[in-house]
Amino acid sequence: MAAIGQATEAVSTPSALARARQRAAYVPDLLVEARRVANTVIAGWHGRRKRGIGENFWQFRPYVEGESLSRIDWRRSARDDNTYVRDREWEAAHTVWLWGDASASMLFQSTLAPVSKQSRALVILLALAEILARSGERIASPGVLDPVAARNAAERLAAAIELHRDRAVFPDVSQINRHSDLVLISDFLDPAEEVLEKLAPIAKRGIRGHVLEICDPVEEVFPYRGRTEFVDPEDGGKLTAGRAESLHEEYRRTYLARRENIADSLRRLGWNFVTHHTDQPASTALVALHTHLSGVPNGGAREVTP
Amino acid sequence: MSALPIVFGAPALLFGLAALPIIWWLLRLTPPRPRTEIFPPLRILARVLKKEETPSRSPWWLTALRLLIAALIVIALAQPVMNPREIRISDAGPLVIVMDNGWSTADDWQDRLSVAAELIDDAEAQNVPVSIVFTAEEGHDATLDTAARARERLQAIAPRPLHGDHNAAVAAVLTALQETPTGTLAALSSGLSAGDADAAWQSLIARAPRDVLVFDNETTQIIALASANNEANGFSITAERRDDDHAETHFVTANDAQGRPIANGQLRFEAGATTGTALFDVPFELRNEFASVSVDGIANAGARYLLDESARRRRVGLLSAEPLDLSQPLLSPLYYLTRALEPFADLMVPEQPELSGAIRELVEQRPSVIVMADIGTVPEDVEETLSGWIDRGGLLLRFAGPRLAGGDSGNPFVPVDLRRGERALGGALSWSEPQPLAAFSESGAFAGMSRPDDVTVNRQVLAEPSPDLGSRTWASLADGTPLVTSRAFGDGRIVLFHVTAEATWSNLPISGHFVEMLRRSILLSRSTVGQQGVADEVVLPPHRLLSASGSVTTPSGAVQPLKIVSGTLPPVSFDNPPGLYGTESGFVALNLMADDDTLIPFELPEFSGPVVHSEYVRSSSVDLAPYLLTAAMLLLLADTLIVLFMSGALSRLTMRRAHTAAGTLLIGFVLVFATTIEPARAADEKPGDADILASLDRTHLAYVITGDQRTDRTSRQGLNGMTRFLTYRTSLEPGEPVGVDIETDPLALYSMLYWPITVNAEPPSREAISRVDAFMKNGGTVLFDTRDALAGLGQAGVVSPETARLRAILAELDVPALEPVPQDHVLTKAFYILNEFPGRYRGSPLWVEALMDSENPDNRPARGGDGVSSIIITGNDLAGAWAIDDNNIPVYPTVPPDPVQREHAFRSGVNIMMYMLTGNYKADQVHVPALLERLGQ
Repeated sequence: MAAIGQATEAVSTPSALARARQRAAYVPDLLVEARRVANTVIAGWHGRRKRGIGENFWQFRPYVEGESLSRIDWRRSARDDNTYVRDREWEAAHTVWLWGDASASMLFQSTLAPVSKQSRALVILLALAEILARSGERIASPGVLDPVAARNAAERLAAAIELHRDRAVFPDVSQINRHSDLVLISDFLDPAEEVLEKLAPIAKRGIRGHVLEICDPVEEVFPYRGRTEFVDPEDGGKLTAGRAESLHEEYRRTYLARRENIADSLRRLGWNFVTHHTDQPASTALVALHTHLSGVPNGGAREVTP
Repeated sequence: MSALPIVFGAPALLFGLAALPIIWWLLRLTPPRPRTEIFPPLRILARVLKKEETPSRSPWWLTALRLLIAALIVIALAQPVMNPREIRISDAGPLVIVMDNGWSTADDWQDRLSVAAELIDDAEAQNVPVSIVFTAEEGHDATLDTAARARERLQAIAPRPLHGDHNAAVAAVLTALQETPTGTLAALSSGLSAGDADAAWQSLIARAPRDVLVFDNETTQIIALASANNEANGFSITAERRDDDHAETHFVTANDAQGRPIANGQLRFEAGATTGTALFDVPFELRNEFASVSVDGIANAGARYLLDESARRRRVGLLSAEPLDLSQPLLSPLYYLTRALEPFADLMVPEQPELSGAIRELVEQRPSVIVMADIGTVPEDVEETLSGWIDRGGLLLRFAGPRLAGGDSGNPFVPVDLRRGERALGGALSWSEPQPLAAFSESGAFAGMSRPDDVTVNRQVLAEPSPDLGSRTWASLADGTPLVTSRAFGDGRIVLFHVTAEATWSNLPISGHFVEMLRRSILLSRSTVGQQGVADEVVLPPHRLLSASGSVTTPSGAVQPLKIVSGTLPPVSFDNPPGLYGTESGFVALNLMADDDTLIPFELPEFSGPVVHSEYVRSSSVDLAPYLLTAAMLLLLADTLIVLFMSGALSRLTMRRAHTAAGTLLIGFVLVFATTIEPARAADEKPGDADILASLDRTHLAYVITGDQRTDRTSRQGLNGMTRFLTYRTSLEPGEPVGVDIETDPLALYSMLYWPITVNAEPPSREAISRVDAFMKNGGTVLFDTRDALAGLGQAGVVSPETARLRAILAELDVPALEPVPQDHVLTKAFYILNEFPGRYRGSPLWVEALMDSENPDNRPARGGDGVSSIIITGNDLAGAWAIDDNNIPVYPTVPPDPVQREHAFRSGVNIMMYMLTGNYKADQVHVPALLERLGQ
């Protein structure tokens, strides 16, 4: 009997990029919800539906004494006796940090899944980058790519990832400013405590996080039977189970409990947690992430304020 | 025999080795190879799957190790034997073993045992019965029996410190064999022939055994110590040996009673002589300590010679007409004698002062020597006792003196007839000069001593001239008059020094020759002088026994008491093995060798058939099975450790639990120590310890609880007031006053006891007074207060009841002389300057111990005497004056009512306390102004 799972070669970023473009095409422009974004000098393309620094007209309002005279719109003021000031809509670009796990465990692909976890993660990552770039957001990847606002940001991200193939550890996130968004794509197979230990400090800094857990269906279903030796792809540790089917129930409970634990804790931190199985199309994950990034209140704990 | 000197007892079992490949296959057979699955969430799975399994495939070397273990076990089961032994005995008839287990077999007993055991094994293999007889066992049981039975008997046998008896042993064999034809005769000889057994051996050989095996250790020399003598010039040893081929030298060691070696000597055998001698040239004092002599490097009974008291120090009884006056020892003759004799004799001084009783007491203790210093006549009633003692070998050593010189002639206990009176040499009315000594007589005990140049004799008693005077003289003066004479008396001897034992008549007692002359005289004596009328037969219980290996052991049950008939020791026997017989205080040594015993080599009589002579050599055949099995077991242990190590059990234990384990160990150690040390502490607490400790940190004033409530309350209040006063006025801040019950309470805690005398209470018991006496003798002070200063109303001669009670108490105490406090006594200046010591009353003097040096030569303003008066007596009712109530108001008025008097009463108390605590310190302090003045200049 052939093995259920296998470790695949890491998928190359160009092909992933192509597939990502495909996925991204399905997804509408992404307007990152930025409720509490601080005043930022970097102009973006998003109308924030409030006055601020921007180019588009937002409203006329009466001049208040003390304001700079240069801001008076004389054309409008000439119409009547009042003096008006022209407000412009505040347009701000938002930085979204993207990170996909590239550790050895991500290379796992079972017979139940069409692609490896790494492949799926990369596709989602790049598709997200494509969508965000299309929306004029600044894209970055911790340790890989500094924030960049460009239409070809996805290509640049793909190139950067290609260059940083060997990174497997959790990235240094100290350069991420507060009010940024952080998208983490991984399988989070470490114990829940270790994962939360890494993420909780980031959440405390006011960074909004969107966590996508990618799992192979085999990891959840545990279809093994008989005497099986399990090998950890990361550290090569071995475990031999005399009768693997006997472990089914207990393993599933532990596995799901871990996921629940992480999800609960992250939601409590105000983060979003999405699970994606590699046997599902990548678009589902993309849409879910997109929804969360847009601030549509159907999954996140946080209410959206207009 | 193959090239390898190994044979197998069960070679068929070696086919088991063919099973090794199967074992190999079985070892390789492991659980089904698991399917290997890559599984990223392994850490989650690891939580679920607790049990880890060993890797499926064991390394090849582990398999090889296990195969080796299996092979070793198979080979071991096949009973391999290295250097197999050949069977030496005939199967024609029973095996007869005559085995020596006398003293000389102890050295190589194990070799002999193994030889005998091999013979029995062979007999078992040949299926012949065995008759084994031991020459030094009682009964000589030679019953023909199975080999197994013979082996049992062999294992129960140990060498004995006796001579083997070949005659009896061979006779026993002959009786046991009856008409059975002998197969093999094996003689396991000790190398010595014991007794004339040729005829017996002849008759045994005449039974025509098929094989005759004689085992002998001809190369080993056998030595036995035969006698020991404590001689004048040293301690000599004679020894016997078996072979006299060449000269040889052995080292001998003398041990003391505790077994410590104290002297070494060389035992020399000349070529051709079987007897050798050794001499310990060590001081006499050391020789007396010898308890046994042994030959170094030989561990058998013959090489150790036990010594009894006959080689010991002499016991010397001292008699003098004058008691040893310790205040002027240099005038006592016993002083010189004691100093001279102590190093080499045990001295006895009689308890009884009266002469006849003293002589009787001394003779009962059976000394070797009795020294009489200037005793004129021996009382008639003990004459017989004394002469009987000398007759049995006692040495009477007498010194002249005024009493002897004034004694009657015809004294039986002098070696020569003496002239009445002494002869004075030198002096105011004499022409003659003090005489030096002439050279010592060549025939006497002092022969060989050098002439002392520095000894002069001023005074001596003179011997009546007689024909044999010369022969009785050991030493004489330069003018030929005898100085030391001696005469044999029965078995004993009488020696007379014609001068005193102290340095009045001559300076002989303070010269070194005196010691040597005494030593030589005493060496003449016998060690113990037997009692007259001793029963013909003396029975002594065993005290210490000599084992066959030459060590001294405590006696076992089988040993019979030693019967000494008319003074001769019985020979060594099974019932009486060599050893010390008697008790701790006195014993007789029974040694293996009598004086005239010799060691004769063992020879078997001529025999026509083949005789195989061989040495006692342990067979070199080795049964390999135990070694192989041990090796297999060790490898199995190693295999277990390897498996544990490979499964990671050990590393997990060390890595993960290292600190936990360390902590557990630490806790364990602490627990162990806590539980082991805790009970080891002795509970030395006593009831009342807490009270004692509480009262130790401060000085407390103490009063005696008389039992009269009113008096006791006054005492408490008084001492309370005194305590307050002391606290206010002085640096002494006493604690609460303490009432002391002198019958029971410890008194040592207090420096002073205030004891008001009252007639309303029971007088103290005798024990209480003796406790107070001890308290005073150990430095405490008792302040007696009779409170009766006004009782007599000034009438002389009237004794108040309190005073009478005090006198009754003091009559029991050891009270020194008392005096009223003199004007210059330190008490008057200890803190305040006081002229009198009033209390509630005024007028009674304060009595203290009288100061010995009543004169005051250097006009010192104060005298302290030595120490503190242990007793102070007043009649002024001090406590009444001091007494205050809780409001600090005086309880009793003074008589007459005068506040100044109360103040003086307090000051008296302060002075008394200061005197008691500082002693005569103040007597020195009063000089301070004068000292300062002097320093200023």
